Amino acid sequence: MHMATVLTINGETKSFDAPPDMPLLWVLRDVLGMTGTKFGCGIAQCGACTVHVDGKAVRSCVLPVSAVANRTITTIEHVGSTPAGAKVQKAWLDAEVIQCGYCQSGQIMAAAALLAATPSPDDSDIDAAMAGNICRCGTYVRIREAIKQAASGRQS
Amino acid sequence: MSGKMRILTGIVVIAIVAVVSGVWIIRGPGPLDFAGGPKVALADYRAGKPTGVPAKLEKASLVERGEYLAKAADCMVCHTKPGEKDYSGGLGFKLPFGTLYSTNITPDKDTGIGNYSDQDFLNAVQRGKRHDGARLYPAMPYTSYTYMTDEDVLAVKAYLFSLPAVRAKPPENTLSFPFNQRWAMIFWSVVFNPDTRFAPDTSKSPGWNRGAYLVEALAHCGECHTPRNLGFALDNRKKFAGAITAGWRAFNISSDKATGLGSWRDEDLISYLSLGHAPGHGSASGPMGEAVDHSFSQFAPEDISSIVAYLRSVPPQPSPDLPATIAPIAPASHKDGVTADARGKKMFASACASCHGWSGESPVSPMATLTGTWAVNDPAATNVAQIVLSGTKRHTPDGALSMPAFGEAYSDDEIAAVANYVTARFGTKGSKLTAKDVAGLREQTAE
Repeated sequence: MHMATVLTINGETKSFDAPPDMPLLWVLRDVLGMTGTKFGCGIAQCGACTVHVDGKAVRSCVLPVSAVANRTITTIEHVGSTPAGAKVQKAWLDAEVIQCGYCQSGQIMAAAALLAATPSPDDSDIDAAMAGNICRCGTYVRIREAIKQAASGRQS
Repeated sequence: MSGKMRILTGIVVIAIVAVVSGVWIIRGPGPLDFAGGPKVALADYRAGKPTGVPAKLEKASLVERGEYLAKAADCMVCHTKPGEKDYSGGLGFKLPFGTLYSTNITPDKDTGIGNYSDQDFLNAVQRGKRHDGARLYPAMPYTSYTYMTDEDVLAVKAYLFSLPAVRAKPPENTLSFPFNQRWAMIFWSVVFNPDTRFAPDTSKSPGWNRGAYLVEALAHCGECHTPRNLGFALDNRKKFAGAITAGWRAFNISSDKATGLGSWRDEDLISYLSLGHAPGHGSASGPMGEAVDHSFSQFAPEDISSIVAYLRSVPPQPSPDLPATIAPIAPASHKDGVTADARGKKMFASACASCHGWSGESPVSPMATLTGTWAVNDPAATNVAQIVLSGTKRHTPDGALSMPAFGEAYSDDEIAAVANYVTARFGTKGSKLTAKDVAGLREQTAE
């Protein structure tokens, strides 16, 4: 049975029909056409689908829409309008982090959540926050550098 | 009588007395003996109707009533191999002395129970005696089902016979000697199966009696939650004190305040049984998760309330190996709190933290919150390791929440490391699991 679901995504109220157990990622990509968030593994182990729920980085591929009603959702399409997200995106460009790019929506979302909670992260903070985001191109070194740049405001 | 004969007779008498009292001591009390009140035959009980189906199904057909009771007795989980047709058997129970396979209880005449008469079915369910006269192993909990009324057992039969017949022969058991000697189970049955029907206790409320019937005769909670005695039967001196079954820890469900259900609120118990989750107490997984999915979630609300009323009356049994107080929420930063196991922390960061959070309070759903659960507060980490190995999935009215299984992806060493880290960070006392322990847990899990 489909029921009208109402979610607050990127500050806008979105109403749509979806089964309550449909993962948020499916809703974002297939129902709402917001394809910036990527599908990777489908079992919350790669981080490509990371979005913010109430400011925290979560994996949208295992999150049923029924679990996020009345919560604030931010995706890669909108994260640039948050202070931490803006800094991260700028640093990502300055440090030229991206290679193939597939994982990078998730990487940026995880990094933005980290900086919002921990404005000056050290290496162990970066490890703890980013360990669940996998990059098959191996951009990890540049990701770490970009997070540090975003935190300090300096440029490479 | 000569002197020698007298001595011999004396020895024989002493030996018989010793054996009988030994057996009597091992057998111990029955599951309902703790209540202690006066009992009457069911037919003479006027205060309520503890057996049968809830009021809303009173006028339903025999098959519908049987369906409710079959779910309440949770027949399907054991009699279905995952991926195969319902009730067609073949699920393997890995025991220390071999593997036992559940039988096909669909009405197929060759491979199922299609040829069972009513009396055959009563004999199997209440007495552990098969159609061909052979004895059942007590993996089939007939020492619990024996308390069911004939009427209820036959309603279950009517339901099973209404299902499509499935041709499916379970694999042969692989039990080693002497456990492969089925006939020997006759002695076990004589000692440990009371072969008696439920008798209400007139000193208790009708709700309590309904709960007693549901818990003892149908849901057979004790089969996992009560420790076993020397004869592998339930030791009701430690009723509901908790035990390890199929590699999972069935926790203490006695009324003990610290380590049992004594401090759970009624609404917590109701929520746990009907949804598989109670806020602050965690989510049902493993065998209890299956019991919720296929059995408790189907119970009428008044039956759940009766179960709660009954559970409350079970005398407290402390679990000395569990901490007296449950650990509070862990620090929000990964840096604070325990970091004993660096490898476990690394794994937690990459595989677990995105759903469970560093504090143990899940940013995703209360169902994934680790804080407050017995699993992480058990210094043996049995269920933490099992959930990591096999994952978990709960269906709620709001949809499904699941955790993937990591058993194939991670080595025993890695799973031990993450379990040790999780129990140290979110529980009272960190576990000391080794790769060997995890290998042992893999071995014990049912197929």
